[in-house]
Order: sequence, then C-alpha cells, then structure tokens
Amino acid sequence: MKRVLSGNKAVAYGVMLSRVQVISAYPITPQTTIVEELSRFCAEGELEAKFIKVESEHSAMASIIASSLTGSRSFTATSSQGLALMHEMLHWAAGGRLPLVMVNVNRALGPGWNIWMDQSDSLSQRDTGWIQLYCEDNQEVLDTIIQAFKIAERVYLPVMVVLDAFFLSHTSEIVEIPHREEVDRFLPRFEPEYRVHPKKPQAYFGMVSPDYFMEFRYKMQRGMEETVEVARSVDEEFGRQFGRTYGIVEPYRCEDADVVMVTSGTVTSTSRVVIDRLWEDGIKVGLLKVKMFRPFPMEEIKRVLKGVEKVGVIDRNISFGHGGIFAQEIRSTFCNEDKRPMVFGFVMGLGGRDVTPETIEEAIHVTLENSRPKEETHWIGLKG
Amino acid sequence: MAGKIIFKGESDLPLSPVSSGDMCWNRTGTWRYIRPKYEDKTPPCGTACPAGVDIVGFIGLLGEGKYEEAWNLIREENPFPGVCGRVCFHPCESHCNRADYDESLAINALERFVADRALDSKPRPPIRRTKKERIAVVGSGPSGLSCAYHLARMGYQTTVFEALPWAGGILRVGIPSYRLPKDILDKEIADIQAYGVEIKTKARLGEDLSFEDLGKYTAIFLATGAHVSRKLNIPGEDLKGVVSGLDFLRDINLGKKVQIRGRVAVIGGGNTAVDAARAVLRLGGSPLILYRRSRDEMPAFDEEVAGTLEEGIEIRYLTGPIAVIGHKGRVTKLECIKMELGGEDETGRKRPVPVPHSNFTTEVDTVIVAIGEEPDLTFLPEDIPVENKMVSTDNAARTSRKDVFAGGDVAHIHRTVAHAIGFGKRAAISIDCLIRKRDVNSLLQEIRVGENGTLSVAKYLSEMARRRSHHVVTFEELNVAYFEHGERNERATLAVPERVRDLREISTGLTEQQALKEAERCFSCGVCNECEVCYVFCPDLSIIIDGGTVKYRINYDYCKGCGICIAECPRNALSVEKEAR
Repeated sequence: MKRVLSGNKAVAYGVMLSRVQVISAYPITPQTTIVEELSRFCAEGELEAKFIKVESEHSAMASIIASSLTGSRSFTATSSQGLALMHEMLHWAAGGRLPLVMVNVNRALGPGWNIWMDQSDSLSQRDTGWIQLYCEDNQEVLDTIIQAFKIAERVYLPVMVVLDAFFLSHTSEIVEIPHREEVDRFLPRFEPEYRVHPKKPQAYFGMVSPDYFMEFRYKMQRGMEETVEVARSVDEEFGRQFGRTYGIVEPYRCEDADVVMVTSGTVTSTSRVVIDRLWEDGIKVGLLKVKMFRPFPMEEIKRVLKGVEKVGVIDRNISFGHGGIFAQEIRSTFCNEDKRPMVFGFVMGLGGRDVTPETIEEAIHVTLENSRPKEETHWIGLKG
Repeated sequence: MAGKIIFKGESDLPLSPVSSGDMCWNRTGTWRYIRPKYEDKTPPCGTACPAGVDIVGFIGLLGEGKYEEAWNLIREENPFPGVCGRVCFHPCESHCNRADYDESLAINALERFVADRALDSKPRPPIRRTKKERIAVVGSGPSGLSCAYHLARMGYQTTVFEALPWAGGILRVGIPSYRLPKDILDKEIADIQAYGVEIKTKARLGEDLSFEDLGKYTAIFLATGAHVSRKLNIPGEDLKGVVSGLDFLRDINLGKKVQIRGRVAVIGGGNTAVDAARAVLRLGGSPLILYRRSRDEMPAFDEEVAGTLEEGIEIRYLTGPIAVIGHKGRVTKLECIKMELGGEDETGRKRPVPVPHSNFTTEVDTVIVAIGEEPDLTFLPEDIPVENKMVSTDNAARTSRKDVFAGGDVAHIHRTVAHAIGFGKRAAISIDCLIRKRDVNSLLQEIRVGENGTLSVAKYLSEMARRRSHHVVTFEELNVAYFEHGERNERATLAVPERVRDLREISTGLTEQQALKEAERCFSCGVCNECEVCYVFCPDLSIIIDGGTVKYRINYDYCKGCGICIAECPRNALSVEKEAR
C-alpha cells in the first residue's frame, strides 16, 4: 500500500509493523509526532503495545531496558538534548546486550537553542555500544526500522536509527507500506536467550570484578564486528522479500571517478543530483553513502575507495578541536594502507542550515582543484 | 551465597552479567537508616465531627458499593445517620482538605445517601444483656438516645424517660419536617429500640417521676435539653398573638392545627427563628425576621439562612423590638429601634447598641419570639451545682454526684444535634468507666479522634481501632498529584414554589451515581485505602500485600529505606522513623 508519509509517520508505521510490545518515550521536537502517532496506534488498537508515559528520556530508556529484559520487543524515540539525557542509560542498554531499537531525529544541541538538523547529537553517542544507521529518505526509514529489530535481536546489541530533522521527519514522501503478514514472516516473534521471569528470580547487571570485566567488553566488540555481516545479510534478505535494499554503504557512480564524495543522511540525495549534472559536463565525481556508522564498515569502504586519489567527506557535525567526525573515520580507515587517498574534510549545514546543490558543488570543486587539502577542515558556506 | 564460579574464558560467560541464582541472600534491609511504616492518621473531617463518625471509613465502603456496611460503620459512633445526613451543620465539610484543592466533599449528602439506602433494613436482634447494672436516661433527644444506644451496645439495661408522649426531643418538636421528615426519625428511634433500649414516654421528671424514683438505677444521665424560650422582657409581651418560637414549632411538629395568618414578625437570628419563619411561610403567613445584629453574627446555620432568603423571606438586620403594642388585648404593632454594632461582648460577637431616636413601628398580626432557649432545671436536686443556667459537668460528663451525669443542651452551650450525640456518647463511656472502675480521664485521652475532643466508641471498645494516630493530616501533607479535579455533587432541592406549599422535605438527596462519584473524590486523608501506589513504586519489592488489620506490610529484610513509598503515598498513610542502631 502506498501512502504519503512524513519521516516520523514512516517511523511509526515501521514500529507498528514490527509488532513492538513496549514503547516508552518523552516528547521533544522534532521527534514528537513519532510518539503521537504511536500513542494513537496504541489507543486505537492498531498496535497492541504498552505505552509507558515517563517524565524524562532517562526514564524512557530505563523503562524499555526493563521491558526488553522480560523479552518484550521495545522501542523509544528521541532527539538532541533528550538523547544527551539518556546517555548513561545507553551504556546500560548496550552493556546489557538488549536488542532495543531507538529512533534519533538528528537535531543540534544548545546553546544556542536550535531545533534543526545537525548530526552532533547521535555522533556524541558514538562510543556507547549502539549500532547506528543513517537514513536518506522516508522509505528507507520505514524499512530500516524493521531491519533494525532483526539485526538487534540477532547480535544482542541495540540499534539507533537516525533521520534528519525536518528534511525527513516533517517532509512527506510516497512510501510503500509493506503488508503486515509479510513483515511477520520477515520478523518473527522475538524469543530471547534469557529473560527476567518471576518464576526464576535472578539479578541482572550486577557488579563485575576486574577478573572478568574485559571479557564482557571483548564480547561486545565481537558483537559489533559480527554486526557488519549480519546487517548485510538482513538487508539482502529484506531485498529478496520486499524488493528494496540499501546496503550498509552504497557507492554511486564511483567507477572511473576522479574523486568520491562521502555523505550520510539527506545530503546524499542532493549530492546525487549534483553528481549526475557534473558527469554530464564530463566531470567524474562518485558518491559513497555511508549508512552504517557503528560498527564502522571499514572493509566495505576500503573496497569502494580503492584507487581513488581524492575523497571529500561531508560532515553536518563538528568534533571541536579536530573536525568533521565522518572525515576522521575515513582517514583512520586508511591510515595503515600503503596507498591511501587524500581526505578533504568539509563541515557544512550545521544547525539546519540548507545544504544546496551549490554548497555541495563548492566542496567538490575544492576537492578537484587541490592536490591535497589546504586545511584539515574546510568550512563551507561560512559567513564573512 | 552460592559458591564461587570460575569462568575459563570469554566464551563461558553469558552476554551480560547475570546472577546464577536468586539474590535473596543479599538482605539489603541492613542498608537502611530510616524506616518507613504504615501509620494511619486522623483525617480533618473525623476530628471535626462532634459525633466522632469515621467519615473516611464510611465513604470508602460506600465507594465500594457496600452501603449497609457503611451504614453500620456510621452507627458504630452515631445512631442517627438519617437525621444527621439532613440536619447536621457538617463541620466535617468546612474542615475537608479537598476544599483547598477544588471543593469540599459533600459528606453530609453522602451520609444521608447511606441512611436512605438502609431505610428498608430489618431491625437487628437485640444485643444480649451482659451487665447487671441498670441505667436511667432522662430525655429522649439526640443526647439521651445516643447515650442509651451506646450503653445498650455495651450490654447495659437502659431505660429512657421522656416527658412528652413521643420520643425524639428536639428532633421531634424543634426541627420542622421540611428539614427532617418524621418517618426518618421514627425509623432511627426504632433501630435504637431494637438494641434493647426501653423508652418510657409521658414520664416527666419532677412531675410523673421524682429524682428519688431514679435511685434504683446504678447511674443517671440527664439529657433534658433546653426547652424554655427566653423572654424579650419588653412591654406587651403578654398580649395575645405573642408566642415563643419553640412552642410554635412544637405545635406544628406534633400535628396541632396552627392558625397563622397575616404579617408575622419573628424575632431572633438563630435556627429556631429561621425554622419558625420558614414554617410560617408554609402555613400561609407572611414572615419577617427581625435581628438585632448583622448577617455575620447570626447563629443560624448558613445553609438555612440561604434557604430562607431564597424563599423570599425578608430579614431586617440591626433591628431590636422595644415594645409590643396591642388593641383589645391582641397584638397589632411592634415598636422597634435601629441598632448599630459596638464592641465585642462575652460571646465574641459585636454588641448591638440602640441608635437614639430611631424608633419606628411596624404592623404585625403575630410575634414569634425566638431569641434563645434555656434548660428547665426545676427538677434538679439542690446539691447539684448549676453554672450559667446549665448543669455543671466535668470533662467526663460527671456532675457533683458520683452516679449522676449530664450532657447535651442541658449542660452545654454547643447546641447542635451532632454535639448532643457526642455528649451522649461521652456520658455512656464515662458511665461504663464508673461501673467497671476504669480510669476515665486517661481513656478519654486515648480514644479521642485528633485533637478536637471528639471521641470514638470504636476506639474505646477495641484496641485494634486505636491504630490511627492523633495527628490530623493537613492539605500540605497530601500528594495531590494523584487526584483529579472534580466538581462536588450537590443534592437536588425542590423549587421554591413547590417547597413552600406544605412541610414536605426540601432536599431530595443524591442519586446512586452521584454518590459513587462523590465518594471517589474523597482523599482518604491519612487512612490507607489500598491504592497500591507504594506497592507500584517500591524498588525493592518490599511492600507485601497479605491481609491482616493493616492490609499492607513492609518486608524489612529487604527495604532499603529509600522513602519512595512515603513520598509517593497520596494520603500520608505512611510515616518514617529513624532506624534504631
């Protein structure tokens, strides 16, 4: 069934089709309409889930950590300051090896108070042990939610599905809504390996001495490493059943390209348009969309960018004192390679500033026209 | 504790740290430095009720649809729920904590609802006499019958002597039936008799029987009321057409044909004056109330004054009569003088001071004098002292004679039905203490409800019932986040044209739906009603729900003393104490 859906409604449909059993969330712009839609689904009986109202995002995450421990498929959504408030609980969810799915609508952190698109909220949670998947359009949002539960329940690590504030959350597109039975077939009932049960009292997440702490961390790292392969196969399985795949990264017109631009989120769509036009002018520019940020799919990226002389990385985020975060990740991917590309880091579109085709073109020209970057981070579109 | 488990490598470990067995060995109660405990306290309505009714208790039962149990709970303390549910001035409502939130609870209407539901109940079998002593009660008003009722329930043979041919005292002869229908009173007196109370009518102390005749009783309770109307002491008071308010109401209440026509001046500002004026209106007369002070000083209940004004009866304030003027021995005019308010008198009210040269006359056909009543003490032996024209008693209702007790209007200035019921109860307890040689003073301390002097017979008779502490819960001590705002459910009243046609009852009471909704509004201040909030919040699963007199208990083996249960309890039914170390 095709429907015109905003990104946030696409999230809600994805959650409903995944037959989530417990939802706990606290409203924050631009996430609010997700939970509004979900509470409507619950109220109208379209989704048989327990909706737990809470007084903060910290409690929202705590609630679904608990419900997930009982074996219930659980979900929350947040954004920006809300995600920051959850920070402590994010470690509990990942360290507890709970297959939660959370949507984060990318929004800047204040001050200055700003409700618009910026990746710094989700990227600030890079090291919490959560899988992170960035979406380009509303169809991908819906499909990724369904895939995310399957990935999470296979590797016992929580998944954060990320979409751009307003450019996706509040923009409507045509979205194909899969049939319930089809989704049920793809994503059967979750049967966890272990769960809290009243008949078998156990304590979870107790103290672990230095004797064993490292081993638990090692197992988490192994889980993350497995996730690359698991996510790829889940996406392929999804493609076989529903006819749509996304890959964990997606190369676009990279063959014979002189330079490749690396993007994530909605900037990817704009970049596709720019690149198509430049090819018409004979300028050979490729595109690499990075969907999976954690675990970082280094091997896939190396394969795509092998032999490319120059790579431009677009970051809608800034790690103060270093630069764009995706650019850092790309640089570190290649640092042990004998043959490695020049990496041009571009910071643009912070706090919801428009990234237009011209902005992207400027970054491409900087990459094309210089043999090596003049500075570690180029700020594009900066006033004055 | 389980034995130590050794893991050889990471593959032996679970995904995340999980205990291999349960953690019951970890008695986290030892971490506690404060100790929560269930402690029911006194709700403000309860301490405000002169009759000592467990208001929160009966409303809780009502809310569960247990109407008969609610009725019986009221009657633990007060044998007149149907009467009080109509005529009580309900100080419980003025003290209700809900008033600080939206509107006070309609407690009086709920009491009436419970009583009306029990109208068809069968009388219970008489209580077995377990005591050999016999008690005489003089007067069958609310105080005398309350005393007799409680004594009968304690197992005493109790005889009530009533001067009139009918029992009920002021309830029978003073309160008009538009406020208290006679069948309601009859039913509740019959219920009292069913407990084994014997009532002898036409037995006036001092006339039909003497004080000495009562000598064969172990104890005597004097509850003869205050039935002598005060006089105006102005010229013309003996003219035909000048009657006392109490006499007038008595005649109507006893069904005598009372002819009253034309302009009727009712003098006074108390309930008798207001009742008389409204009765006049119903009999076809044109009443006019003259009161020498202002609205604020009127002793009549606010609701009754409001009803009076609603019915179009004029009240002339700051007006005092100085002479009744007649023609051929019958009243024709009333001479009055304007008043202004001066300094406070001994009752704390502003004293009326005549304004010089402000005299005026008004034409009247009848004058009803209702400026207060006093007890008739002509029967009283000389050795029993009288103070302020009332029998002098101590805190335990005792007179100077060891075996003679007194209460109600004959001994007190607080002249309401609820107070009379309370004083009767106090006397019953005191008489029981005398006979059983118990220390009445310390017991009265123990069985009080809060700090207002209200007593509980349930507390007197049962150790268990004493568990509520005397602390009166304030609004600030409640966690009102748990309560939704809701409008008070008022009982319906007849429209004015309909109600003044005759003496039919004005108020029609709450519907069942209204009563249940109203009961839900009760905060149950200080009294656990098993709402489960503590159970839901306890992070240590240490609230145990397993019956007993206090339904919940705390498992101190594991309670860490975090205090969430106390903080969250909507009604302050939990307290904290320092952990003994």
